[in-house]
Amino acid sequence: MTHRSVEVPVVARVEGEGALHVRVDDGEITRLELEIYEPPRFFESFLRGRHFSEVPDIVARICGICPVAYQMSAVHGLERLFEAEVPEGTRELRRLLYCAEWIESHMLHVHLLALPDFLGFDDAIALARGGFKEAVERGLRIKRLGNDLLAAVGGREVNPVSPVVGGFSKAVSARELRAFLPRIEDALGEILQVADLVAPLEMPVLPRDAELVAMTNPLEFPMNEGDLASTRGRLFTAAEFEEVSTELHVPHSNALHSVFADTGLPYVVGPLSRVVLNEAALTPLAREAATRAGLHLPTLDPFASMAARVAETALALEEALRLIEAYEPPSPPRVAIVPRAGRATWTTEAPRGTIYHRYDVAADGTITEAKIVPPTSQNLRHMEHDLREFLPGVLDRPDEELTRLAEMVVRNYDPCISCATHFLRMDVERA
Amino acid sequence: MIGCGSPEGGDDAAGPLAVRAVRARVGRQVEVVETGSPLRVLDLLEGADVVIVVDAVRSTGGGRAPGTLVRAKADGSAALPAELRSSLSSHGLGLAEALGLAAALGPVPRVVFHGVEVGTAQTGAPLSPAVEAALPALVDAVAASVEEASG
Repeated sequence: MTHRSVEVPVVARVEGEGALHVRVDDGEITRLELEIYEPPRFFESFLRGRHFSEVPDIVARICGICPVAYQMSAVHGLERLFEAEVPEGTRELRRLLYCAEWIESHMLHVHLLALPDFLGFDDAIALARGGFKEAVERGLRIKRLGNDLLAAVGGREVNPVSPVVGGFSKAVSARELRAFLPRIEDALGEILQVADLVAPLEMPVLPRDAELVAMTNPLEFPMNEGDLASTRGRLFTAAEFEEVSTELHVPHSNALHSVFADTGLPYVVGPLSRVVLNEAALTPLAREAATRAGLHLPTLDPFASMAARVAETALALEEALRLIEAYEPPSPPRVAIVPRAGRATWTTEAPRGTIYHRYDVAADGTITEAKIVPPTSQNLRHMEHDLREFLPGVLDRPDEELTRLAEMVVRNYDPCISCATHFLRMDVERA
Repeated sequence: MIGCGSPEGGDDAAGPLAVRAVRARVGRQVEVVETGSPLRVLDLLEGADVVIVVDAVRSTGGGRAPGTLVRAKADGSAALPAELRSSLSSHGLGLAEALGLAAALGPVPRVVFHGVEVGTAQTGAPLSPAVEAALPALVDAVAASVEEASG
């Protein structure tokens, strides 16, 4: 009996840290575990006893790279429970905020995490030094635009502007937003260059079966609003989320794996799911970017997610332009909230996929219980599923190549493994 | 002056906490940023003469006692120690990798790094006693760097 183990101690270039254990006996995979060093979700207990008004600031800190996703899911859910009507213009401003986050997150992933993979470089530094300096600079330039737009609308450390339950603490001025227009115009041209860069990339294919899940909205490409749908015809609301999707605790991981409650099978959320389920809502530029990036819809191939991210960035840029040009600051920027007891539920589309929030609220507005299901949690089981499908076809490759291929399969999901931890490992002499 | 870390991340809060304290002492001389992402450091290098980064660190193999202060420098000729290259931040790019990328793309300013060895970086946990005890010394060291850079 031949036995071979592939241990990838650290899956490089995903957000955070992870490990992959694969054991092959006589050509068959007998063990496959994606080990996630994610700490337990203290934030859910951290939120217990807090006043609802504190929630946006607290949840924004759960994920350093997608604070908007957390804030938006929270404020929408709570506003619905409290039957609050936000000022006119708030919807648009919140959509703009989400556009900024998609731009920033997708461009980071495409250029610094995925491109090194598919071009055969160890990391982004090697990529930049290996003849792709211009491409990296362009990617960072578009990313920076997303960062700056996000800071202008949603606030930064020293900036008092921020999303609150009821609207915004302060609405950014039209003049400040219009200052972004030239940069957005430039980026609209550059994103097509990104698409052209992505199209000829040699990447693996994995034409596996899967059920993709995303929000849908008859009026627009979904970000903050909509119900949920799947490629197998499911339709459900955020309020039904916990009946439809359930979380399993697996022994080898600190995280939780989501599966459908009725079948026990996993599903996929993310840019590919969104683009497949909302193809009709793609903006013209997004459609062009998708085609130029080599995206052929519909597809279930997870490796198509890179092109989907490029298409979504184009869409976000186009939407940002439209929203800014039509922008009139909501005045007043927020409404007073009268809390009531009950359960608040909502989903929004984070860069990595659908994110679900649930808050149980007491009559005085304090949170008695919170449940947050991030997109990466929902995708974890499917990552393992993909690996089980993909690896048998490449088991004959040498270990190093096999490792790289396994990493690529996981990176399709742009997983955010440890959303709130951040530390450096170092071995230098004591100062 | 950049405080890297997560205020709710146990000892990972050291960076932000330190820069807040330093800001109270010498804040007028320096632009202060708190961020959970080393990649943000890359954006902030532009236009700066000196960048002081404060962060929690963890040595591989646990060779360093929690609360130990560390310091490193990088300028045009010398990069941050290779050990800082590991991709163990929540953003997939370690600090040295972010700086390495910046250097690959163009000239970079002088970087002074101040770190404190973590005890625990668990979400929701308070500072470990060792790191809490080390914080004043860290603040002193960072403030001194700010004075030196501004002088």
